[in-house]
Amino acid sequence: MMPNRVGHLPIAAENPLGLSWHDSAWIPSLNPSNIMDYFSERSNPFFDRTCNNEVVKMQRLSMDQLQNMTGLEYILLHVQEPILYVIRKQHRHGPMQTVPLADYYIIAGIVYQAPDLASVLNSRLLSAVHHLQCSFEETMSFSKYHPSKGYWWDFKANKPGMSPFNIGQSAPKETSSTPKEEPSTLFQRQRVDMLLAELVRQFPLPIIPAASSQENGVKVKSENEKDKSAEGTNLNNITIKQEPIEQSELTNGNIAGHLEIKQEIKQENMKPPPEKKPRNM
Amino acid sequence: MEEPITRYEKIDFLGEGQFATVYKARDVKTDKIVAVKKIKIGSRLEAQDGINRTALREIKLLQELQHINLIGLLDVFGQKSNVSLVFDFMDTDLEIIVKDSNIVLTPGNVKAYMIMTLRGLEYLHQNWILHRDLKPNNLLINREGILKIGDFGLAKAFGSPTRINTHQVVTRWYRSPELLFGARQYGTGVDMWAVGCILAELLLRVPFLPGETDLDQLSRIFQVFGTPTEEQWPGMKSLLAYVQFKYCPVQSLRHIFSAASDDLIELLESLLALYPPKRCDCTQALKMPYFSNKPAPTVGVKLPMPTNITKMELEKPSLKRKLLDNIDGGSLVKKLQFDRI
Repeated sequence: MMPNRVGHLPIAAENPLGLSWHDSAWIPSLNPSNIMDYFSERSNPFFDRTCNNEVVKMQRLSMDQLQNMTGLEYILLHVQEPILYVIRKQHRHGPMQTVPLADYYIIAGIVYQAPDLASVLNSRLLSAVHHLQCSFEETMSFSKYHPSKGYWWDFKANKPGMSPFNIGQSAPKETSSTPKEEPSTLFQRQRVDMLLAELVRQFPLPIIPAASSQENGVKVKSENEKDKSAEGTNLNNITIKQEPIEQSELTNGNIAGHLEIKQEIKQENMKPPPEKKPRNM
Repeated sequence: MEEPITRYEKIDFLGEGQFATVYKARDVKTDKIVAVKKIKIGSRLEAQDGINRTALREIKLLQELQHINLIGLLDVFGQKSNVSLVFDFMDTDLEIIVKDSNIVLTPGNVKAYMIMTLRGLEYLHQNWILHRDLKPNNLLINREGILKIGDFGLAKAFGSPTRINTHQVVTRWYRSPELLFGARQYGTGVDMWAVGCILAELLLRVPFLPGETDLDQLSRIFQVFGTPTEEQWPGMKSLLAYVQFKYCPVQSLRHIFSAASDDLIELLESLLALYPPKRCDCTQALKMPYFSNKPAPTVGVKLPMPTNITKMELEKPSLKRKLLDNIDGGSLVKKLQFDRI
């Protein structure tokens, strides 16, 4: 499931069932006599221009010749004026013998490939299973256990951003580890803000205004945290960071999930300052 | 000398041209059907030059050439003052097939014709001979579906660096831009261009560049391939008949040959390169992916034959005149015009 989700875009490009095509210049004038010409437009991704139709057209012959040829061809299968046309792609073995390969329907000028039964079933099953899994994951997050009490439901501890749709990829792992941590209190948050402000005052930033750099700085840590926790490098961190964040948000369409991760990291980050707090005080 | 006449038994009259009469005949010795081309002795004026130049060329070259895709000169015999050439009998030619609207040329058919043409031409070029008059009706086809290049009336040895050739060769529609610009030294490129035009004609079923005059021919070429610049064609402006043409942008062959596969477009572009040195030769062409990719070329016996060919067998064939045209020159004047230099 994970690789599926991540590779979502390329799959849409490969799988014709996820495509539609239209040419708005043609749409007002579409009729049964020109619908095949419309379908054979060069830019139509559903049209294989090495088909017999195009061979006959290029050789300026009569379309009746198609009957005598073998190979790939397109026929107008069904017309329901004014808006629906069905075109069939088929392999012709002889004048009377053809094997259908695919159907395409044109509704209001927009061309779609009609899915085969297997694809429909696949897709429906997949989405049903996906939603089931999401609901189980959601449910699991509300179950609590203690050796002395056993299991119980706890719906009060609502987790922000835990809608079933953005748990999908990396979030579940994080959620499994985070519940152990206590959420920061208002007091802690204020302290951290204060400490950060203090730091910024000590090491003034030449470029970025303090307000925005704080936020960025915090988010950014997600990446550098692992190798660097020392505050001495903080200055560098802050200036460099903006980029990775923006990139990661752009590349991974799932912004909500990321926001979530950042919040969690924030929580983790907040831990160290309270330890230092006594020193500073 | 009397013996050959009895060897060939006349079956049918095929046609008559300016320089020759052609008969369908049976070779009694081998029981093969052949085409006998009897060269006309012509008027007294022509006769004083001796034997017709076209026939002389064919005799001279074809005697030394042996290839499945070249018309075979089986025999030459004299009878009184006439000379007769005996050729393989060919049922039809590519021009008839291209013009027959009952025939659909599948990609496999086109590939088969191209392979046979290029193989024959490769052999010719390897032997330092230019055909100089390739066109669909010089590509003869028999009922086994074997294509043979015919009509060597304009063929000539090439490669001598000092030799100056005439540019008045090749039927205009198949004439390469360097010939149209009056180049006197040229090579295999002139034949390759013609092959490109024939390929285009097989795809479109009409002549690709049907120019009405030599200048119109050039402008038609440039309307498709764009007007070349001196950078694209070094030395173009120093050609004898160079004329400046107005600028035309390059057109995409993909739009003209809408059903052609990408590898076929690649071959077309390579055959029809404006700058002659950039044009591929036969060997390079045959090695291009088009010939090894699917679909496979149609096998000979499955290649289409004109629908009326069997009917023709029964009737007096007027269509066989074509064969004569091939042998005898057809649309191009076989007497070379030597421009004053």
